[in-house]
Amino acid sequence: MSVLRRVVHEVRTIEIGTATRYQQHRLVVGRAQAQALFADPALASVRVHVAAPGDRTRIVAPLDVVEPRSKGPGGGAFPGWIAPVNRPRGGDTHVLRGAAVLAAGYLPRNQEGLIDMSGPAAERSPFGRTNNVVIEFDRAEGACWQDAEVALRRGLLRLAVHLADAAVDASPDVIEELAPPHRPGTSTGGLPRVGAITNLQTQGAFKDVFVYGRSMAGSLPTLFDPVEIEDGAVVSGQYGHPALRNPTYIHQNHPVVAELCARDGQDLCFAGVVLCPEPVEQAHKELVSTHAAWLCRAAGFDAAIVTKEGAGNADNDLMLKVDALEADGLTAVALYAELSGADGTGPPLVAGPRRGAVVSTGNYDQRIGLPAVERALGGARLDIADAEATAAVEVPTAAILGALSPLGAGWLTCRSEQQRLAG
Amino acid sequence: MRIVHYVNQFYAGLGGEAEAGIGPRVLEGTVGPGRLLSQLVGEEHEIVATLVCGDDYAASHTAVGEELVGMARAAGAELLVAGPAFGSGRYGLVCARLVAAAEAVGLPAVASMHPDNPGISEAGAAPVVAAGASSRQMRPTLQAVAGAIAKLATGAKLTVADGRVARVARVGQLVDQRAAARAVELVLRRLAGDREGTEIPVGGFDVVSPSAPVDKVASATVALVTEGALVPAGNPDRLESARATRWLRYPIEGVDSLASGVWESVDGGFATTAANADPNRIVPLDTVRRLEREGVIGRLYNELLVTVGNGTQVASARRFGVEWAAELRKAGVQAAILTAT
Repeated sequence: MSVLRRVVHEVRTIEIGTATRYQQHRLVVGRAQAQALFADPALASVRVHVAAPGDRTRIVAPLDVVEPRSKGPGGGAFPGWIAPVNRPRGGDTHVLRGAAVLAAGYLPRNQEGLIDMSGPAAERSPFGRTNNVVIEFDRAEGACWQDAEVALRRGLLRLAVHLADAAVDASPDVIEELAPPHRPGTSTGGLPRVGAITNLQTQGAFKDVFVYGRSMAGSLPTLFDPVEIEDGAVVSGQYGHPALRNPTYIHQNHPVVAELCARDGQDLCFAGVVLCPEPVEQAHKELVSTHAAWLCRAAGFDAAIVTKEGAGNADNDLMLKVDALEADGLTAVALYAELSGADGTGPPLVAGPRRGAVVSTGNYDQRIGLPAVERALGGARLDIADAEATAAVEVPTAAILGALSPLGAGWLTCRSEQQRLAG
Repeated sequence: MRIVHYVNQFYAGLGGEAEAGIGPRVLEGTVGPGRLLSQLVGEEHEIVATLVCGDDYAASHTAVGEELVGMARAAGAELLVAGPAFGSGRYGLVCARLVAAAEAVGLPAVASMHPDNPGISEAGAAPVVAAGASSRQMRPTLQAVAGAIAKLATGAKLTVADGRVARVARVGQLVDQRAAARAVELVLRRLAGDREGTEIPVGGFDVVSPSAPVDKVASATVALVTEGALVPAGNPDRLESARATRWLRYPIEGVDSLASGVWESVDGGFATTAANADPNRIVPLDTVRRLEREGVIGRLYNELLVTVGNGTQVASARRFGVEWAAELRKAGVQAAILTAT
């Protein structure tokens, strides 16, 4: 199994300049250099902006988000997209921690969401806390949207590598070594083997996640090298429910894997990652769930944390896996965003496991008031609130990118409170 | 206190499903369960009149609540009591709407039904006293209702101690530990033997047993209903594309096929290109019309009932189901084809 070292450079301030450079926690984004990375027949132009935590800025209609990472001059990040797959695995990966690159603007089937860089939405989104490079774009006349979307994705990945390349020679803030998962059959000293099952959405154009550049639709669940996820083997092209998305950034920083690794050797042994598609047919869902449970047993898991992307269809996949795992004698915990209505009194689950346990990542419907901001990127209007993009608005939590993170990157939960009855 | 009591046609002794379409009416004094309730509340309180309406009529006329409240006031009500409806969906829906309508105009009211009754959320802020699951629990339920009446007569509000069904809200909050870390904690607790630990209670899902097959399809009236958000092009009634709060009806009498450009799906949960190229693939009107012509089915019901299932709350979906069933029963429909997306 391959070993990876994260060479971490912390980004604390961000600005736009003439040439990209990184020095002492300050990232300068070279405007023309960044724009050149989006050169594609499907895009007429792109505009480069930055938005930092604390800014009174709203990013409307955010698309994918990527963390700047580089494998150095030889390349190797984002295999299947901008690097070959048959390259050496592991080694050093330079990470610009605290920075993110993202696109924002109209795209068909993108459910409109937002990121606020200050205020209550900023507290709820992982991307209200990062120094963001925001790309606005215009589609080329006559270009189809699918081509524009691929051009944007490729551009974001190139920009992520370009920015991290600037830090390759800088002395790191910290170096983190990732131990590979424990192999089945080896002694754990009595600790339970716990792994992650990561469901990826697979519903076609604008609703797909790519593994090594390909959709997982039609695939069976597969055991996957966590080191490759760190290096961008999983890339999102999925634009459903903003709060229930797993942008590429979240895969690169897989929260469940990170938390399992944090306790590896102390309370548990990290057993590995299983990637699964989220098919649209019931029989296929059952096949994938049954096979995933078998694979976990074959890989020596005692327990698994199961995550999803999206809602409805995806809920069924999540709960079928919990049931399949528990039926096979494994312990399962799912992560789920509740759908209990604006007042929180509706049933929280739309599909339920027969047993197992569920962690809440917040209530999809709970409304939240956001103050007016000074500047908007990505669009002049916020259609979901029928308001100017900079206006004070009230939105459901569902609109805040990543707020209900199905992969567990968010800080929301729900608790039952018996409503006070007078008298 | 002068009490007016609401019961459905069944508990009023007017008949079962065959009489579910009757409209609202007032009967003097106590009827059905009102007789026992009258004994339980003692001589201080009097049931002066009983309101009755058929379940199908009441569940499919949303304004019936205001009408019944007007009738209760005319009968001199100081308190309106509705039910107990136990687990019955249509009856529960009507009782809940009735007490909500009464509260809205300042008439004290209390309903009684099982806490899982699909209608319960319609009661809003009006109190609901828990009933058993079925009429086998009539006596203990009416004892609880009588206790609630005695308390309401003092001007006090009902609490959980009075059997009031509490509205438990799931309130979102920010916590220090992110969800992935809490999942690891929970998995370790479960592995250590805590099999009950969970942040969201699991289980409790309905298992729906299919009805018996239609006896004589060739003479049955069949309805088409859908959660695929198929509406006239342009969506004139602004059906939501997700998280539906309501459903709509569209006439299909004399329509043989759902033409592209005339009908469209506004469902936000799937790519609608193929559906909009041939809307008959969301609602198979062309095929069902052919079956009607060939005599395979008796008749197609003349309205299409439509909502969107995409992300719609379980509570809303259960209510739509109760309302659709009432609507279709009232129209004499024996079978419905529900197309989903």
